[in-house]
Amino acid sequence: MDTYVQGILILAGINLMAVLGLSLLTGFTGLFSFGHAGFMAIGGYTAATMTVKFHWPFIPALLMGGLMAALLSVFIGRLTLNLKGDYFCIATLGFGEATRLILDNVQYFGGARGWPGIPNYTTLTNVIFINIIGIIILANLIRSRHGRNMIAVREEELASQIVGINVFKYKMMSLMISASYAGIAGGLMAHYMTFLQPKMFSLIKSTELTIIVIFGGLGSISGSVLGAVVLTALPEVLRSFASWRLVVYGLAVIIIMISRPEGLMGGYEFTPSSMRKLFSRLKKKNITAEGGK
Amino acid sequence: MVQFLQQLINGLSIGSVYALMAVGYSLVYSIMNFSNFAHGGVIMFGAYFGFFFLTLFHFSFPVAFVSAALCTALLAVLIERTAYKPLRERKAPFLYFIICAMGASIFLENLVIAIPAIGPTFRTYPEIFSKEPFHLGLLTIGRLDVLMFIISAVCLALLVYFIDYTKVGKAIQATSYNIKASALMGINTDHIIIIIFALGGLFAGIAGVLFGMKYTVYPQIGMITNKSFIAAVFGGLGSLPGAVIGSILLGIIETFTSGYISSQYRDLIAFVLLIGILVVRPSGLMGKTTEDKA
Amino acid sequence: MSKKITAILLTCIMIITIGMTGCAKPADTAPTASDTIKVGWMGSLTGDQAVWGQCEFNTVKMLFEEINAKGGVLGKQLEAIGYDTKGDPQEAVNVAKRLTSQDKVVAIIGPNASGSAISIASTLEQAKVADIATVATNPKVTVLDGKVKPYNFRVCFIDPYQGAVAAGYAADVLKFKNAAILYDVADDYSQGLAEYFEKTFIEKGGAIVVKEGFKGGDVDFRPQLSKIKAANPDVIFMPYFFKEVALSANQARELGITAALMGGDGWPSDQLITMAKDAVNGSYIVNHLDFDDPEVQDLKTRYKAKYNQDLELNGFLGNDAVLMLVDAIQRAGEVDSEKIAKALETTDIKGVTGTIKIGKDTHNPEGKEAAIIKLVDGKYVFQQKYSPK
Repeated sequence: MDTYVQGILILAGINLMAVLGLSLLTGFTGLFSFGHAGFMAIGGYTAATMTVKFHWPFIPALLMGGLMAALLSVFIGRLTLNLKGDYFCIATLGFGEATRLILDNVQYFGGARGWPGIPNYTTLTNVIFINIIGIIILANLIRSRHGRNMIAVREEELASQIVGINVFKYKMMSLMISASYAGIAGGLMAHYMTFLQPKMFSLIKSTELTIIVIFGGLGSISGSVLGAVVLTALPEVLRSFASWRLVVYGLAVIIIMISRPEGLMGGYEFTPSSMRKLFSRLKKKNITAEGGK
Repeated sequence: MVQFLQQLINGLSIGSVYALMAVGYSLVYSIMNFSNFAHGGVIMFGAYFGFFFLTLFHFSFPVAFVSAALCTALLAVLIERTAYKPLRERKAPFLYFIICAMGASIFLENLVIAIPAIGPTFRTYPEIFSKEPFHLGLLTIGRLDVLMFIISAVCLALLVYFIDYTKVGKAIQATSYNIKASALMGINTDHIIIIIFALGGLFAGIAGVLFGMKYTVYPQIGMITNKSFIAAVFGGLGSLPGAVIGSILLGIIETFTSGYISSQYRDLIAFVLLIGILVVRPSGLMGKTTEDKA
Repeated sequence: MSKKITAILLTCIMIITIGMTGCAKPADTAPTASDTIKVGWMGSLTGDQAVWGQCEFNTVKMLFEEINAKGGVLGKQLEAIGYDTKGDPQEAVNVAKRLTSQDKVVAIIGPNASGSAISIASTLEQAKVADIATVATNPKVTVLDGKVKPYNFRVCFIDPYQGAVAAGYAADVLKFKNAAILYDVADDYSQGLAEYFEKTFIEKGGAIVVKEGFKGGDVDFRPQLSKIKAANPDVIFMPYFFKEVALSANQARELGITAALMGGDGWPSDQLITMAKDAVNGSYIVNHLDFDDPEVQDLKTRYKAKYNQDLELNGFLGNDAVLMLVDAIQRAGEVDSEKIAKALETTDIKGVTGTIKIGKDTHNPEGKEAAIIKLVDGKYVFQQKYSPK
């Protein structure tokens, strides 16, 4: 495989990592974030500090990045998770932009001029590996009691509270996990690009991640995987179409929301058992069709 | 002292720009309970409409101004009909409205960039009013600032009159208080929603043209409209006086932060303040604190 | 049920699309006809700086056509393959990978943004393909931690130099004592220039009376300018791009600030004149060249004749990048990316923006003089070539 295709796949993997986290927050818990690029930035800068300044190995540095992002999310969450939908959105937007603004001014990390010379540790193998671990953890989480409680919070906050679910706790849990995923994605990004610049973590990046989640399907992990791969590869396929890409994105989001709000996968998952069910159903249909003839 | 007064004037002038934009967010929120992020895109279109009416069709300023506002009102209603109405009919959760609004905003901004005749470059309005400012002793006040202040005040006063003293306005108030009950009382809430979007669009057009005249026209005006959205949140979403007061306050706070604390960290301080307000008083300074609509 | 099938069908289509991306490649990996030399170009074709990027790519294409008409290089035809980076470092890496591994170019011209030029370094090293940046002025584009990057070159001068030229000219020639700085805190270029201007100006015995920041996308600068006015400087250094320059200059004059304004190579543009002709009257710009220099008129007219547009700053530097590359290919004697990179290290040519003699340890053009331009009644009037002592 040539380096170009490999590069695209690595990028898709990095996006996927962040999207997985966001999918938990938006798709499964019903919280809408405009600031996930901020968590990516925290994770990226932390991981890069660990490898460059303290000479840590790659994986512990990544985990450290995820941890820092999670810690920060606890702080942010304490302040904002009690806010209603729109207010939470705008608070995360404020957080994301504030993070970028601070990084722009921290000369230790090169400020707005960026931080070159980060070692190139991210490879296709470790991206795929990390993503698989990420998916397994997430899938198990969602199938657990905690995951079901999160979905309950998404569906009906008031009712969940009444049946005894600690809404705040589950929102916080979801935010923390999703922030740490974003942090790890940021660390992967830093060691793939070998260069960090606060500009890379703008509001546009946050929006892009949210669009991928919506596109793939709210509440579906397979949808997120598919969304991340398709939406990272698509602009590369349509290079000459560049300026219309975001127009189509915007339109697609509206159309999806109107006609198929559950996104591409719509809450369905690709699992061996669901595939089997699907095939058996298709077979049945064929049999009935033939029987009719 | 001179410095203080000058900064106050600067703050008021920036605040009045935010106010015109923030009103649109609040209007829609008061009825629909979601943040219409597409409003920023509509404002940008308003600025472009005004620009092309003036330069391409050579309309006189008042005509261009009014037609731009009408066009954006139409655009806002169009967005409502195509993007939000299907969601309303399905009683979709508010999350879908926000996502849809975001999609519309991305669509509008990039449409302008992608159309070759408009493109990403910025445009300058022809000079309609002299740039020469008024001088009051050592203070300076821009002519356009005064004009904007007057137009904003008149438009807002008309809006308040419309909502408080006309039959339609009363219906709007009722709808904003409780949309289901108003429908039962015989108010055609669908029409009310159209009127609200049209009003929001009118204000977007006014804001867009004035913004374009004062600064310049470019596709990323949305950066500034985000600020005005913050101002609306600050004042309390859904409240008109809240939007205006929040905007003026935000403008003044921003200027004084740059003037007396640090211009490098101005936005940071504004955001910290925003989160602070939300934590202490989540509904903003003057927001509705009625029942929780979770 | 039918919905589910639609979803599955959609999924399949998506997967096939992805598959096609992977498969599209083998089609053109067949050994290319050896009578063309593929050269990559990257830069901003969309976004804020699209005007400059488009002009740069057009210039490159025009020059290649001209060279091909004259028989090409080493008897081979030049072919330009260009992609948009949107000024985004991540996109730039994608583009660099595509150019080097799929299009198999022998060298790359561009990009114009420093961030993009820095981020592609490791890709270039892997592929052993040289890149000649056009207006990427951040020092770290070619040198990192004291070590020169083997495949990164540029034709322009660097931020510290540009900042020093501006400060030196303000202090030594214009005899200004007190300077104010207004800069974009969220922009790498602006931050760099502001830093080096401040350093040099203080070394020259001047004082920075006030240093104010704003954030890219802002349109109102009056709070900062009111503060600058109170400090009463002789000159305000404004190292950012023309849109913000036009707005801030207008507002400065509106507030009654009469101090001279000074800026860098982010200024020159027709837009600046349209929007703020009076406000920037009498301002000084540090530029790469004198637009009225008789030696550059030929290029300007050729470009105008072909595209019916005025040549922007990037076009001149794009021209020099092409000259530098053609010279290197000729000296390398064969179309081999590594040999070309080696040859680039010993470049010594004369371009439209001055003499380009690449330093072996810096990969920058050494001793390139900057042109000081004064804005007079909407015209860019050349003052002198200047390099700080």
